[in-house]
Amino acid sequence: MIQLIAFYLFATIVIASAAMVIFARNPVHSVMWLILAFFNAAGLMLLAGAEFIAMLLVIVYVGAVAVLFLFVVMMLDIDFAELRAGFVRYLPLGALVAIILAAELVFAVGAWSAGGVDLAARAAPVVTDKSNIQQIGELLYTKYIFLFEAAGIVLLVAMIGAIVLTHRQRGGVRTQNISAQNRRRPEDATRLVDPGVGQGMEL
Amino acid sequence: MTADLALIWPELILTIGGLITLMLGTFLGDRQVGIYQLSALLTLAAAAAAVVALFGVETTVFSGTLSVDGFGGFAKLLIYAASFVCILIAPRFFSGGMRAEYPTLIVFAALGMGIMASARDLMTLYVGLELNSLAAYVLASFMRTDERSSEAGLKYFVLGALASGMLLYGISLLYGFTGTTDFAGIAAAMGGQLNIGLIFGIVFVLAGLGFKVSAVPFHMWTPDVYEGAPTPVTTFFASAPKVAAMALMTRVVIDAMGPALGAWQQIIIFLALASIILGAVGAIGQKNIKRLLAYSSINNVGFMLIGLAAGTQQGVEGVLTYLLVYVVTTLGAFLVVLQLRDADGNQIESIPALAGLSQRRPGLAAAMAVFMFSLAGIPPLFGFWPKYLVFEAAVNANLVPLAVAGIVASVIGAFYYIAIIKMMYFDDKSDTEIPAGGGAIVEDAVITASALWLSVIGYLFIPVLAVVSASAAAVLF
Amino acid sequence: MVDLTQYLPILIFLVIAVGLSSAFVFLPMGVARLTGAHKPEPAKLTEYECGFPAFEDARSQFDVRFYLVAILFIIFDLEAAFLFPWAVSLEEIGWAGWATMMIFLAELTLGLVYAWKKGALDWE
Repeated sequence: MIQLIAFYLFATIVIASAAMVIFARNPVHSVMWLILAFFNAAGLMLLAGAEFIAMLLVIVYVGAVAVLFLFVVMMLDIDFAELRAGFVRYLPLGALVAIILAAELVFAVGAWSAGGVDLAARAAPVVTDKSNIQQIGELLYTKYIFLFEAAGIVLLVAMIGAIVLTHRQRGGVRTQNISAQNRRRPEDATRLVDPGVGQGMEL
Repeated sequence: MTADLALIWPELILTIGGLITLMLGTFLGDRQVGIYQLSALLTLAAAAAAVVALFGVETTVFSGTLSVDGFGGFAKLLIYAASFVCILIAPRFFSGGMRAEYPTLIVFAALGMGIMASARDLMTLYVGLELNSLAAYVLASFMRTDERSSEAGLKYFVLGALASGMLLYGISLLYGFTGTTDFAGIAAAMGGQLNIGLIFGIVFVLAGLGFKVSAVPFHMWTPDVYEGAPTPVTTFFASAPKVAAMALMTRVVIDAMGPALGAWQQIIIFLALASIILGAVGAIGQKNIKRLLAYSSINNVGFMLIGLAAGTQQGVEGVLTYLLVYVVTTLGAFLVVLQLRDADGNQIESIPALAGLSQRRPGLAAAMAVFMFSLAGIPPLFGFWPKYLVFEAAVNANLVPLAVAGIVASVIGAFYYIAIIKMMYFDDKSDTEIPAGGGAIVEDAVITASALWLSVIGYLFIPVLAVVSASAAAVLF
Repeated sequence: MVDLTQYLPILIFLVIAVGLSSAFVFLPMGVARLTGAHKPEPAKLTEYECGFPAFEDARSQFDVRFYLVAILFIIFDLEAAFLFPWAVSLEEIGWAGWATMMIFLAELTLGLVYAWKKGALDWE
């Protein structure tokens, strides 16, 4: 009963905040709604028994992806009037994509009535006396190590890609040169002078 | 586990070599083109040697997530060879703007494509595909100061992400209704009555893969991306990823969806016919040679899909032979495009500028003519042979109407190939000067070798090709 | 169905946190409304003190470097996320699992070396 209430609560908020992501006038507000959607999706994951995924959603999506979105929104110099003008122009294309996605949803509803989901053959039968995260670890680092390492390379390629596309060499970076600092002796910086009385001084 | 490592030498070599290339570029600087280029080339050559050394092995490694077999080996050799050529031709095109990330990304993309070609688990499929795609998005906008290149990268990324979404949706349906991501397990589950969920799974997986091979109606990104991306990158897109995606598609439909032949065959037939016809019609009236070659690649993918639609071992042999000939032809054609520079050294991409090329650069025009005739599948040239093979396979699989439609459409396709040849040989010289010289010896050598191979010498290789492709295709049956 | 009783502390915490924070926001408003006079008029609601309405959006365009930093953060965040299941299952996955993670870390460390050497982390 309480699960059911929680499910409908989370599901409703996810959908409502997802709608608000689109309808919010200010893109920064959109990102805020998106964060709310992420939080509630994490709640849904909890209800499904996937605690680790739920925590990942909070850590990675809320903690990192949403921040990235905010940066991107702040980076783009969006002119709202122009954005609205484009709305009508791209309406046919947008409608097409929306129809395709809606068709996917309808298909999914069709598939739902197609029969039971077969979980007997899956790789990891549920072991109830172990926590979710431990089960993931035992599969990910034994059976799927090849995929895990390949995922590492995917992350590396993402890093290279981000640097290739956005990094520019900039002058004026003042980096610390430790050996130069260590090499420096008092003689390099100071000078003992013995000025005579009344003769003034040369610097 | 450690025994498995000995069977994935190609992947290990590519990973380590890619990392070494990256570090060389990082520490020596982007100016040391020769060093990091050599490192990437040696990596690909060593990986190819490792594939050859594993010849005859047929097993699965890492708890069945990856297969090591002749089919994957054949595809990997083609992929590595095409990537090799794409690294070779880059420094001259980028001249001063060459960066070490280019060869690094190509090596990692080749790693991803190798994983695609030997995937036998839906998750392996997806990781390989994303590794390749991610590198490809970056490569497409590699010249980030160039507006067209950035646009190409953005377009490719947005549409690619949509395709990945569809693919994942299909994968999740397949997993949900079969309970496994393993190809053999999926095939076993498809042996019985197909329920509607499985059919939608098949549809979405094929739609996602159709995007990657750029089959109609998932082709809309191809002309724009091919036109906007730097020419060496376009050469890469048109060759290696096509092989990987086609091999992956073949493995998925034969290995994982084999028992559901009736369900996927119709989809493949539709993709094949639509690609052949739209590829041929869309090419007419193109003014940019790279766009034209993009439509030509769509057209050729359609012919490969005819072989796949047959669903027989003969059909798969046809697909593999077709891939080999297609890659050689495409590499040759794009290398010719790379040679076209005006007096200031700017790349020429417009087709009207090719008019009268035979009088300025007879050798280049002759090579282009060979590639065009071969792409059209005109008999004395070797491009005819794989077309014949796929049609034969289709006829033997009782798909006579499909074969007939394909032959008719290939006549339409021949029109624009021949129009280019006519322009090069019989039209008056265009105003654009295309001075000779400046071409690297390697590039000329690759063009000459591929043109010769496609002209008549290729026919001498038919017995070898038949044995190799048959043994590779037999793995799936 | 999942046993939700273990999440009871979080639920209580959320209820109290949301209740308190909304009380802080709405209570003063309510009290002010009840105790003071509420007669808004255009002149009262216009900007004063500084004298003129804002000319433009207060939002300024960010540098693209923020984006690069955020991307690098996501990548290393994910790397850290992979460490959790590895750490708790280390006993079962053994040395092979340990070596797997070390290779994974090495891959991304090389990425960090690359980013560092390229100057992607520099900020003048």
